Amino acid sequence: MLRRSLTAACALLLLGPGPALANRVFVTNEKGNDVTVLDSETLEVIGTYPVGARPRGITISPDGSELYVCVSDEDTVKVYDPESMEELHRLPSGPDPELFVLHPSGNPLYIANEDDNLVTVVDTETHQLLAEIPVGVEPEGMGVSPDGKVVVNTSETTNMAHFIDTDTHQIVANVLVDQRPRFAEFTADGTKLYVSAEIGGTVSVIDPATKEITDTIRFEIPGVLPEAIQPVGVRATKDGSTVFVALGPANRVAVVDGVTDEVVDYLLVGQRVWQMGFTPDESLLFTTNGNSNDVSVIDVARREVVKSIQVGEQPWGVVVAPDKQ
Amino acid sequence: MRAVIALAIGLLATPVMGAQATRDWPCVQVRQPHLSVGSMWTGPLPDEATAALARQDREVATLADRLAQRRTTPQEAEGLVADFAATADAARLTALFQGVFDRIDAERTTLMDGIARFGAGQAGLAAEMETRRARMQELEAAASPDFDAIDAEEAALDWDRRIFEERQHMLTAVCESPVLLEKRLYELSRMIQSHLPPE
Repeated sequence: MLRRSLTAACALLLLGPGPALANRVFVTNEKGNDVTVLDSETLEVIGTYPVGARPRGITISPDGSELYVCVSDEDTVKVYDPESMEELHRLPSGPDPELFVLHPSGNPLYIANEDDNLVTVVDTETHQLLAEIPVGVEPEGMGVSPDGKVVVNTSETTNMAHFIDTDTHQIVANVLVDQRPRFAEFTADGTKLYVSAEIGGTVSVIDPATKEITDTIRFEIPGVLPEAIQPVGVRATKDGSTVFVALGPANRVAVVDGVTDEVVDYLLVGQRVWQMGFTPDESLLFTTNGNSNDVSVIDVARREVVKSIQVGEQPWGVVVAPDKQ
Repeated sequence: MRAVIALAIGLLATPVMGAQATRDWPCVQVRQPHLSVGSMWTGPLPDEATAALARQDREVATLADRLAQRRTTPQEAEGLVADFAATADAARLTALFQGVFDRIDAERTTLMDGIARFGAGQAGLAAEMETRRARMQELEAAASPDFDAIDAEEAALDWDRRIFEERQHMLTAVCESPVLLEKRLYELSRMIQSHLPPE
């Protein structure tokens, strides 16, 4: 063990910012009804664990002790031990939970209930329901500001980003975006909010202070019909310099300059690319490809797809465990 | 305040409700009339010369026919593509991709037209059931109800409902069928692409 850590330390010294520590990568398989666990260093499958009917959104507590899975067709959020993958308990999620976001402190959890037009707020320690917030039609995307003061929910049919005050649980602003918004991602400094629109084919850049749309990112790929470009998952690096946008059936991930909001590249990944997750050191980005049943691994610095890993049936969400403390 | 927001949301929601399932398109998947070359292929983009080659090169056209058929298994396809690639240059490989793409995309379009007809049929049947229900209510409300007519209407309504529900149960599988073709095309594209000489 000591030898291994010494070797690892030497490797780190030799390669500078090179290989990161191994982290577990968790992928929900919407049709396979299970979670595939990968190793971020070897990029091999560690195991596959059944979780219940139609798992979609997935996230992990900041200390890495609890893994949360939206089990949509069982109307619940199941909580797992990320090491043993044993179910610890369940959280009251409201019907058809699809996506959720954890407060940066790890509590509470904000869950979008697509069928009920609600955002459900659940205490992750007491497992109690704290509030139900009525929002637009078919709520889906969920983002939280880095200071935890604002949760943004996007509603698919209403085409809005709803800004929710996390103290009062009231909607404080609604921003109209393009058709069928899917995902909301704040930059780590909280100065920008990216909202993807699946049918609109755009990503709106919103200033969270003024709640104004400051820019709209559009995508054009040679040889790809405009209707195949359906932005879904969005992830920004912590320094805000690069933003990745998953473009659904275009089978591409757009690389966007986070300063100018211009697209600089399109990477070919698997089929129907949906959600994405960084390793904590942001050296790798994992994408779920729902139709080709694989996960593409993107080298963030080189902006290259380095590997495809077969997972379960219809991979949907992905989260990488934080570094061990 | 909340009520005002809810009202505003309701008003805004109405015009875009048809974004997903509509009378012409019963699936939750967004309707994409055609697939895109660029979402399958990172090699040289096919052009007119490629299209001409795909049509005129007999070997390319025959192989494209064979690959596009669903009875050709992935293993068989792998072997066929490898044999072809042993002597084919990048232009002919691109032409083969174009040929397979055009065939599967056309098949998918035909299939989607069928799904649209299926959706329209269901909408038509739903409307017919509404008419029957209204007629039954009318018959029942009459001063001296014609019970035979009511029974006949009820039996017809039961049949309609049964057909409607059975078809509705098939909807998920029906809507998945274009996706299966898309998956197959992607797999074949990757196969052909793997034989392209490195740029």
